[in-house]
Amino acid sequence: MILRMAFRNVLRQKRRSVLTGLTIFGGFTLAVIFIGWADGSYNNIIDEFTRNRLGHIQIQEKTYFDRPSLYKTVDDPEAVSGVLERIPGVESWSPRVVSAALAASGDKSAGIQIIGLDPEREAKTTRFDRKIVRGRLMGGPGSKEAVIGRGLADILKAGPGDELALLTQAADGSIAEDLFRVTGVLSSGDDMSDRTSVHLNLEDAQDLLVLGDRVHQIVVTVTSLGRVPAVARAIDRDLDDPSLRAVPWQVFARSFYEAMQADKAGLWIMLVIIVVIVGVGVLNTVLMSVLERRREYGLLKAVGTKPRQVVRLVLLEVLLLSLTAVFLGALVGLGANAFLAEHGVKFAEGLTYGGMEFGTMRSEVNARSFIIPLVTVLASAILVSLVPALQAGKTDPARTMRLH
Amino acid sequence: MGFFIKLAWRNIFRNKRRTFIAGVAIAVGLASLIFCDALIRGMKDNLIQSATASFLGEGQIHARGFRETQDAEKTVNNLPAVLDGLRSEKDVELFTLRTMSLGMISSPANVSSVLFVGVDPETERRLSRVDDVLAEGVYFRDGGERDMVLGSDLAELLEVGLGDRVVVTVSRAGNGDLAQEMFRVSGIFRFHIKEMDGSFALARIDKAREMLGLDGGAHEIALKFRDNRFASDPENPFWDKHSRAGNEAVSWTALLPELTRVMDMVWFALGFLAVILFGIVVFGIINTLFMSLYERMFEFGVLRAVGTRPSGVRKLIVCEAGALAVLSIVMGSILGFVLTFVLAKTGIDYRGIEFAGTGFSELLYPVLHVSQFIIYPAAVFVFTILVGLYPARAAGRLTVADALRKSL
Amino acid sequence: MSLHGDAKCAAVFGLALAILAARAPLRSQEDARDIVKKIDALYRAETSRALVEMTIVTPHWERTLKMRVWSMGMDRTFIRILEPKKESGMATLRVGNEMWNFLPRSNRVMRVPPSMMMGSWMGSDFTNDDLVKEYTFLDSYTFEMIRPEDAVPEELTISCVPREGLPIVWGQVVIAVRASDHMPLREKAYDERGRLAREIHFREVRTFGGRRIPSVMELVPKTKEGHKTVLRYLEAEFNLPVDESVFTLRNLRTRSRP
Repeated sequence: MILRMAFRNVLRQKRRSVLTGLTIFGGFTLAVIFIGWADGSYNNIIDEFTRNRLGHIQIQEKTYFDRPSLYKTVDDPEAVSGVLERIPGVESWSPRVVSAALAASGDKSAGIQIIGLDPEREAKTTRFDRKIVRGRLMGGPGSKEAVIGRGLADILKAGPGDELALLTQAADGSIAEDLFRVTGVLSSGDDMSDRTSVHLNLEDAQDLLVLGDRVHQIVVTVTSLGRVPAVARAIDRDLDDPSLRAVPWQVFARSFYEAMQADKAGLWIMLVIIVVIVGVGVLNTVLMSVLERRREYGLLKAVGTKPRQVVRLVLLEVLLLSLTAVFLGALVGLGANAFLAEHGVKFAEGLTYGGMEFGTMRSEVNARSFIIPLVTVLASAILVSLVPALQAGKTDPARTMRLH
Repeated sequence: MGFFIKLAWRNIFRNKRRTFIAGVAIAVGLASLIFCDALIRGMKDNLIQSATASFLGEGQIHARGFRETQDAEKTVNNLPAVLDGLRSEKDVELFTLRTMSLGMISSPANVSSVLFVGVDPETERRLSRVDDVLAEGVYFRDGGERDMVLGSDLAELLEVGLGDRVVVTVSRAGNGDLAQEMFRVSGIFRFHIKEMDGSFALARIDKAREMLGLDGGAHEIALKFRDNRFASDPENPFWDKHSRAGNEAVSWTALLPELTRVMDMVWFALGFLAVILFGIVVFGIINTLFMSLYERMFEFGVLRAVGTRPSGVRKLIVCEAGALAVLSIVMGSILGFVLTFVLAKTGIDYRGIEFAGTGFSELLYPVLHVSQFIIYPAAVFVFTILVGLYPARAAGRLTVADALRKSL
Repeated sequence: MSLHGDAKCAAVFGLALAILAARAPLRSQEDARDIVKKIDALYRAETSRALVEMTIVTPHWERTLKMRVWSMGMDRTFIRILEPKKESGMATLRVGNEMWNFLPRSNRVMRVPPSMMMGSWMGSDFTNDDLVKEYTFLDSYTFEMIRPEDAVPEELTISCVPREGLPIVWGQVVIAVRASDHMPLREKAYDERGRLAREIHFREVRTFGGRRIPSVMELVPKTKEGHKTVLRYLEAEFNLPVDESVFTLRNLRTRSRP
C-alpha cells in the first residue's frame, strides 16, 4: 500500500517530482556521457600514440626488451603468424629485424640501426607509408632499397636515388656488407630514431644478416585498446613457447603510460565530483520537499502510520523517481554515446604528423559507462534521502498540524 | 530597487534552513568548478612535466643544424651574448649549459655507445631531475673533476658500480681526432625510462669541453620558465627573439612533436568533459532555485494579494536569487579555495602497485589561478539570476486566487 | 709487443715481433720496468709484414679469418683479408687516429667514424681502438716485480698499475714472463676491484726472420661466457722494404696481393 501511496504522491506533486527527477536524470545522463567520452577519447589518444610508434604489443625473445641482441630471435615467425591469425582481437601484425651497422654515403659515414620490415604489413600495422616525407617506400625482396630517417639523411647528405653502403656483422659471425639504394626519407616523429634508422625490406635484411627466416620482433596491433591485456595473455598462452614474450605497450611505452594514468586519476576525481553534485542536488530537493510536507506527514502519523512506514514512503518516492530518471537517462546517455562513438567530434583539420592522424575523437559505449553511474547516482540519491526520510519519520503530528 | 534588495536579503535570512540548504547546493557547484579547473590545469602540467622536467627542459637553444646532425662543431653562436639576453628575460627562471656528443664508453667488462653530456652540476640540478632519481651514490662531488653520473641500465651493462673507472671516447670538434678520458662513477640514476637509463652519461662540462676541444662553448642551453605555459606557446615571440645569429630557440612543443599532438587531443577531450561538468552545475542551480522559489509561491501570492505589482514581485524574486547567489559564491569560493589549496600542497597520489618503486613519480597537483575566482563566481551569479527569471515570471503572472490555494 | 691492457695491441696487427732479450741469466734484482721496456721495445720495428690467422669463438658461431698485415712504425697499419671467401678482399687501413675499411662487394671505402672506434674489429674481441691507440705501455703504467702465491721458479711476474688520470679501464695488469728469456707467457687484466676481466696467453714460440716470438696469442674475455679470439702467426718478416704507397686509400681498392 505504501507503494501505491508513493506512486500517487509522486504523480501528484508534479513540480517537485520533476525537479528531483530531473536532477537525477541530468546527473545520470551526464555521468554516462562523461565516462563514455573519457574512455573513448583517452583510448583514441593512447591508440594514436602507440599504434603510430611501436604498436600495441610486441612479441620478442623474452629477454630482448631488457637487453636487445642480434642473436635473440623469434625463430619461427610463420608459426607465430598462425597463432595470431586465430586470436580474436588481433588486427594486424608486422615482423621486424633489427641490427646495428655502419652506413656510408659519399664520403660520410655514421653508426646506424638497420630495421628490416615488410613494407606492406608495416603500412597496415603502424602506418609506415604515411611517415615518408620524400620519395617512396622500399620495394620487395631483392630490391635492395632503403628508406632512411630524416636526421640521417642530413648527416649523410643522402636522399632518394643515392647509394648507401652498409657494413655489419651477420648472425653467423661473418662480415656483411652490401650496397643499397635510398628510395625514401621518413619522419617518424622521434628525432633520435630518425637520426639513425635505415629501413630495408625484411628479406633483404635477413639475407644481409644471415638470419634465415628469423626476426627480432613482431609488432601487433589490436582492434580496440581495452583488449590489449587480454590479447597479450592469449598470445603468451597460445604460443606456448617459454622463450618468447608478448610485451604490451604499457611496458615498452612506460613513461607515456604513467602520464596517462595520472590523467585518468584526474578524471576519476571529476566523476566523483559529479556524483557529489548530484547527491547534493537530490538532498536539496528531497530535504526541501520533506520540510514543505511536514503537515502531510503529521497527518499520516496522526492516522496511525508508523514512523518506519513514513520513512519508507519518502524513500520509495525517491526510488521511483530515480528509477524513472535512470531509465530515461540511460536511453539518452547511451544514445548520445552511441552517436558520438559513431560520428565523433571533429576537432582539427585532419593534419598528419609522423603518421599520426587526428581529426575526430570518439566516445565509447561500454558497460562501465552505464554501471558506474547507475550504482553511484542511484546509491547517492537513496543515501542522501535517508536523512530527510528519517526526519520525516520523526514528525510530531501534534506540532505539525498546529502549524496552520 | 534598493527596497527590493533589502527585502530580498531579509527574506533570505528569514528561513535560514532553506537558504542554507540552497546556498550550500550552489556553493558546492561553484567549488566544483573551481576545483575541476585547477585539476585540469594540474593534469596539463603533469603531462608537460612528465616530458620536460626529467631532463629536456621547457625550451632549448642550439646552433642551427645541431639538432639534425649533432655535429660537435655546431656550438651555440655568440654564447656570452645569448646568455646575457637570457639573464635579462624575467620570464626565464633558469637555464643550464650542456655539451652533447655521441661516443663510446668502456669498462673492463664491456663497451657501449653513449650520449656523453657535459653539464654544469649546479644549474643542471635545478633544471633536471637527475639528482632526484639517483639510485646510488651522489650527484657530483666537490672537486670531483672526473666524476661521472650514468644511467642504471648502462651501469649494469658495463658492470660498474660506484667508484669504478670508465673510459669515454669521443671525437673532437673540428678535426675529428679521437679524445679519450677516464672517469669515475660517482652516481647512478634511474628514471625508469630506457632511453635515459641505458645511454646517458653525465660529466662536468669543463672536462667535456677539454675533451671535445671546445673553448668555453656549449651545444645546448636548456631553459626553464617561471610559468610553464610560457613555453607551451610556439608563437611566443620569445623563440624568435632568441633565434638569432645562426641559433635557434625552440620550445618543447617542437622538440617533442608527438607529445604536443597528444596534449592537443587531451585538451580537446577535457574541454568536452568540462562542458559536461558545467552542465551539471547549471542543472544543480536550476534545481535548487526552482525548488526554493516555487515552494514559496504561496508567499508571493500573498504579496500580490496585498497589492504588490507583478513587476515588484518579479524584482523581488530576482533579487532573492541574486542574494542567494552572492551568499553561495562566498561559501563556494572559500570551499573551493580551501579544497584546492590543500590538495595543491599535498598532491594527489594516483600511484598504485604498478608504479611502486619508480624513481620519481609525479603526483597530480591542482593549480590555483586568479581567473578561477573571477570567472566562475561571475558565471554562477549570472546563471543564478537568469534561472531566477523563470519563477519570477511565473510569480508575476499569478492570479491571487491561484496562489492562495495551497501550493503544489 | 706493447701489452696495453685494453688495447689488443697495435702490436698484434703489424708491430714487429722483436727479438727477445739476450739469454742472460736471470738477475733477481732486475728492474721490472726494464723488462717491460725491453718487451715493449722489442715489438717495434721499422716495417713488418705477416700472414696471420685469426679464429673467433662465440657462443653462437666460430670463424677463422686469414689475413696479411703490413705495418710501418707505430702509426700505420694495413690489413687485407684473404679467407674465407665472403670476406676475401676486405681491407682495413689505419693511419694515425683514422681508420678506413674497404668493402669489395659494395666497392666502397668507408671511413670508420671516431665514435665507432671502440667497436669490435671484424667481430673479434679486439676493438678498432686497439689498432689506433698510440700511447705506449711504458709511459702509462708503473711497474713492480711481485711474487704471487702460486709463483713458479721458471717465471717472473710483473705488476703494472696505470697512472692516475689516463684513459685506461684496468686497475692492474699482471704480466708473467719466462725467467730464462723474458718471453711473455700470460697477461691478465684486472679491474680496480681485483676482478679478472681478461687473459691473454702466449704460446708456441717460433722464429720468424731471426726473431723469436710467441706465435700464438689467445685472448679470453672473462666477463663474457664462451668468447675467445686466437691469433696465430703463420709467417712474419721484419724491417723489410715496404713501400709507403701500401698505406694509402688507393691501395685499399687494389685487389692484388703485393
